[in-house]
Amino acid sequence: MKRNLSFLVSLIVLASLVLAACGGGAPATEAPPVVTEPPEATEPAATEPSTTEEPAATEPAASAGTAVITFVQQPTTLSPLYATQWFSTITTQFWLKTLWSFDPDNNPVPEIATEIPTVENGGLSEDGLTLTINLRDDVTWSDGEPVTANDFVFTYDMYMADSNTVASRYPYEDYFASVEAPDDHTLVITFSEPFAGWLPYTFAGGVLPEHVLRPVFEADGTLDNAEWNNAPTVGVGPFVFTEWEADSHMIFEANPNWINPPQLQQIFIRMADDAAQEVAILAGDTDIATFLDWSQADAINNSGVAQFVTQPSGYDEGWYLNFDPETAHPAMQDVNVRRAIVLATDREKIVQDLLGGLTEVAKTFWASTPPFEDPNLETYPYDPDEANRLLDEAGWVDSNGDGTRDKDGTELVLRYIANQRQLRKDVQAVVQQMWAQVGIGAELVNYGDDFFNGYADGGPQPTGQYDIAEYSNAGAYPDPEASFNWLCSEVVGPDNPEGGNWQGYCNEELDALFDQQATETDPEARTQLYYQIGKIMHDDVVWVGLWKDPDLWSVSTRLQNVRLSGATPFWNAQEWTVSE
Amino acid sequence: MLNYIIRRLAQAIPQLFLISIVLFMLMQAFGDPIASLGVRTPPRPADRERLRRQLGLDQPLYIQYLSWLIGNDWMKIDMDGDGVPETPGKRLGVLRGDFGNSLISKRPALELITERLPNTLLLMITVEVVIIIFSLMIGVYSAFKQYSFFDNFVTGLSFVGYSIPIPLIALLLMYFFSVNFKNWGLPYLPTVGMFDPQVGRTPGQIALHMILPVLSLSIISIAGYSRYVRSSMLEVLGLDYIRTARAKGLRERIVVMKHALRNATLPFVTLIGLDIPFLFAGAVVTESIFAWPGTGRLFVERTAQSDFPVLMGILMMIGVAVVIFQLITDITYSFLDPRIRIE
Amino acid sequence: MTTTALSQPSALVESTEPVILNPWQLAWRRFRRHRMAVISLIVLVLIFAYIWLGGLVFARGTCVPIDKYVTGEAYANCNDLSIKLQPPSLAHPFGTDTIGRDILARTIYGGQISLSIGVFAAIVEVLIGVLVGAVAGYFGRWVDDLLMRITEAMLIIPSLFLLIVLGKALGGIVPEVEILGRALSGSVVVIILVIGFTSWMYLARIVRANVLSLKELDYISASRALGVSDARIIFKHLLPNTIAPIIVSATLSVSGAILTESYVSFLGLGVQTPTASWGNMLDSAVKYIQSAPWLWFFPGLLILLTVLCINFIGDGLRDALDPRSTRHV
Repeated sequence: MKRNLSFLVSLIVLASLVLAACGGGAPATEAPPVVTEPPEATEPAATEPSTTEEPAATEPAASAGTAVITFVQQPTTLSPLYATQWFSTITTQFWLKTLWSFDPDNNPVPEIATEIPTVENGGLSEDGLTLTINLRDDVTWSDGEPVTANDFVFTYDMYMADSNTVASRYPYEDYFASVEAPDDHTLVITFSEPFAGWLPYTFAGGVLPEHVLRPVFEADGTLDNAEWNNAPTVGVGPFVFTEWEADSHMIFEANPNWINPPQLQQIFIRMADDAAQEVAILAGDTDIATFLDWSQADAINNSGVAQFVTQPSGYDEGWYLNFDPETAHPAMQDVNVRRAIVLATDREKIVQDLLGGLTEVAKTFWASTPPFEDPNLETYPYDPDEANRLLDEAGWVDSNGDGTRDKDGTELVLRYIANQRQLRKDVQAVVQQMWAQVGIGAELVNYGDDFFNGYADGGPQPTGQYDIAEYSNAGAYPDPEASFNWLCSEVVGPDNPEGGNWQGYCNEELDALFDQQATETDPEARTQLYYQIGKIMHDDVVWVGLWKDPDLWSVSTRLQNVRLSGATPFWNAQEWTVSE
Repeated sequence: MLNYIIRRLAQAIPQLFLISIVLFMLMQAFGDPIASLGVRTPPRPADRERLRRQLGLDQPLYIQYLSWLIGNDWMKIDMDGDGVPETPGKRLGVLRGDFGNSLISKRPALELITERLPNTLLLMITVEVVIIIFSLMIGVYSAFKQYSFFDNFVTGLSFVGYSIPIPLIALLLMYFFSVNFKNWGLPYLPTVGMFDPQVGRTPGQIALHMILPVLSLSIISIAGYSRYVRSSMLEVLGLDYIRTARAKGLRERIVVMKHALRNATLPFVTLIGLDIPFLFAGAVVTESIFAWPGTGRLFVERTAQSDFPVLMGILMMIGVAVVIFQLITDITYSFLDPRIRIE
Repeated sequence: MTTTALSQPSALVESTEPVILNPWQLAWRRFRRHRMAVISLIVLVLIFAYIWLGGLVFARGTCVPIDKYVTGEAYANCNDLSIKLQPPSLAHPFGTDTIGRDILARTIYGGQISLSIGVFAAIVEVLIGVLVGAVAGYFGRWVDDLLMRITEAMLIIPSLFLLIVLGKALGGIVPEVEILGRALSGSVVVIILVIGFTSWMYLARIVRANVLSLKELDYISASRALGVSDARIIFKHLLPNTIAPIIVSATLSVSGAILTESYVSFLGLGVQTPTASWGNMLDSAVKYIQSAPWLWFFPGLLILLTVLCINFIGDGLRDALDPRSTRHV
């Protein structure tokens, strides 16, 4: 009898949980979907009731002048030498300005440099081998020391020092012959060969304070363990680093000595995970958030306290096809089968229904790197009938009636891999269903990032354990350079384990074009070369674009003047203001 | 006693070595730490080759393990890539207190761990205190009121308590006390982090931010422990000396508080002592959900990046903590209960 | 901890029965007296029916995008982007997920995975635990020493950490495998082995203690003197007499394994999609804590319900099989 009571209690608890969840869940979804629009003047008024409604709440209104940013990943380090992680690199616009930054339209904006070097103003030599940059003489480090050309020379030396385990030496190892400082405010860079991507790449990470770091380097023999890497209290930007508590927060305070003093008093970066980030955005507890899902757009726009913003940054989501005859499915060798795969995939539907119509299908690898995609290129439509015809013609027919096409005893089942991101898993499932209608089977596999990106000694791509790999990649945005993905000389294999061409694709014609564009310093001619490259890769179905993959941001309505850019998102942080 | 301690340590140290070797080997099968360096763009092939060489990841496994264990200052490393090792190593090895540097951020692994350890300890100790207080109260009361409505209610609840997955209870708590309370215009609890940025790191803030993680961690344990207290109370209450005490006419309250409780809680306290290091495991999921800046979250984060110096550091510190806590518990127990003699 | 906390000593003694029953009948009688265990058994049977037969009833309908009437797993995998993230309704009682799949149907097939993981991981655990415990207890001396030192070494690191490390190390092996006619992610097999490998230690200790006390009994000594083989003594005489704690422990291992699976899958290191499990259905839903709570609520609830029932049954089995801890109400 009494035991029954205990069980009853359990049941009641469960039942109340059910009721509560169902009851509470409905209202959240009733709000009608709203199309993304720029913030309107009327928006703030609408949000006022909700902000005044949190009296006893835990979060009092922000003190005037603080922007709260949420990061879903902890920056690994702040030093430009060691930072590769995106969250580490985007903070530099607050505290470590470099020669120039980029605005939302990818125009370079001079910061420490007085102007952008061009052939016309004599900054870039006719042969493209010498770059002369004039530095402002009124820029100082946050401790008052002047920023000089010697700091840049020191930075170059640190990238190249054998004792520093820097993340990447590109482009210093590949293109830089020397970096010199004839005087304090003139920087002369000599390239070993003409370097088309000099604009986005020259000291893109930032500049190191020689007066702080040279003593450390001389004492330790390396900068690997320098305190400055994680607590760069000396910087050069509108804000100064003041505090970083691991897994918790990071604070930058205004630097009144910066040439354009900032409007805000403080930037507060808060580490959170995805779930907590969503709650914080919708509650108006964060001003800027990123690494969002497309599906969060409606909820954010309907919240009244934030707007969902997309900003291209060169990334395009796409399929990398395996061409290696040893490891790939035999059907992958046939260009008509490859075309059929694309024709059988309703990319427009994915963009409309899964991504909320907020982006568009990427035709080439350079879709998000204007102007390098030919606007007149026609991409493959969704045409299952044509896909069926091509597959029949290629000899892939369903001879055993199992619903999947086959040929010579081999079933047409493709191994379609991606990392763990939820959106990719969703796309895989959707595409699997689309393919099934033309008789193409799909084996879906997902890997953790460290496996998925793994190199020849185990990664699924260089070892060919795939037919189609989906991920998002970019060239050297805003520069289009990405050739090592496709050059014949980069084909990965036992004799070239570090090769960057994991697809095993080799095309002499494409190689020649890639070589030509790397040293073509005339922008118009280079764009034309990319039109040709894009056409070849499109016609031969080397890389299949799924969608343009811009950065997804949520920006609160109280934070004004935010103009996020693709290459240097926080480039105008000094202009941000908050309205209460 | 001293002999006992020495013997126990003589057993534990080889076990720690065994565990460290096995874990180290397992981590070789992890993904490539360098591949996970770039979240959006992996380092170029040439960089990867250089980094593997500079970080010693191209060395044979036993060299890597030895470098981890006793350091590499007795050998030279090829930093410039000419095939000739020329730079003397700098690592001192775990045995000399150097856990190596994180492969991801280059910071000393020990530093990464110790700066988060206080946060985890704060959470864990609070959870322990909450568990002890509530499971004693509930357990003693249910034993005292055996088979009452309350007792059965708690029994039922305790089964639900330790059958509920931590993610579910954490999500439910967040959903009710943060999301819905806010929607209903009630005071709501914060879900993220340790304190509110605009208010600062005040004790009040930390307490507020701790409520949900502490609840989700302790509900599960209170459920189990209160049943444990209840049954050991019942056992003690049935013993002769309690009956004698009662027969002597002592007040029930004194019987319970003075005689029964003391003897019944002894095994309970030891159990808790043994469990403390294991609470770290519970913290892994909880810290991840509530973005609590502790070691559990660090572990999950660095697992995804295959940052094995940090992972090995966390695991070894927990291993040593377990060994020490076992020892302390044994010794304390022998002091508290003279019937048990350690040999 | 959770298992020991359930047992409680009894003040009363079994009343003697006039009819002579065999031990299993006795056990069944005692089990029946544990009402919650009986009710749980019924609920668990219903859950099993839901999982293994529910597909026939609930998982059928027209898959709109391919314009075809589908049943079973094909229905659970049918995605319809036009109805994504819909709250529970008549057509989709548990709502739909991020690509418009029916969550109810997915809990059915995810449940098959979660329950299979629970059962098979428990089998792995019992096999290792019993073998290690019996061998250590029976042979004693250095064998015992060695095995127990290894067991202790395994206990030094909390099993969730071991589990994460092992799961990650073996996680690179993810080709599909075909089990019972279903193509599953290889991670299912990995997770079964990993949970089994990291949870056998307590059972090994229990079995060892039992074997230690049993082997001193006269008939075992006699068997040895008669030259009966060690294996025969272990499997014929020792283990059958220690079956009660093994059964109880195995039952609770099933619920433990289901919970563990939910933790590791929640952390993204467990069962990999497209294979669904209750655990990874929780994981993929975390971003929707506020906007779509039905995504995580129903799989979470099913885990809770299943684990709850198994725990009650384990409690009942302990009462029934282990007379020393029989309790009465």
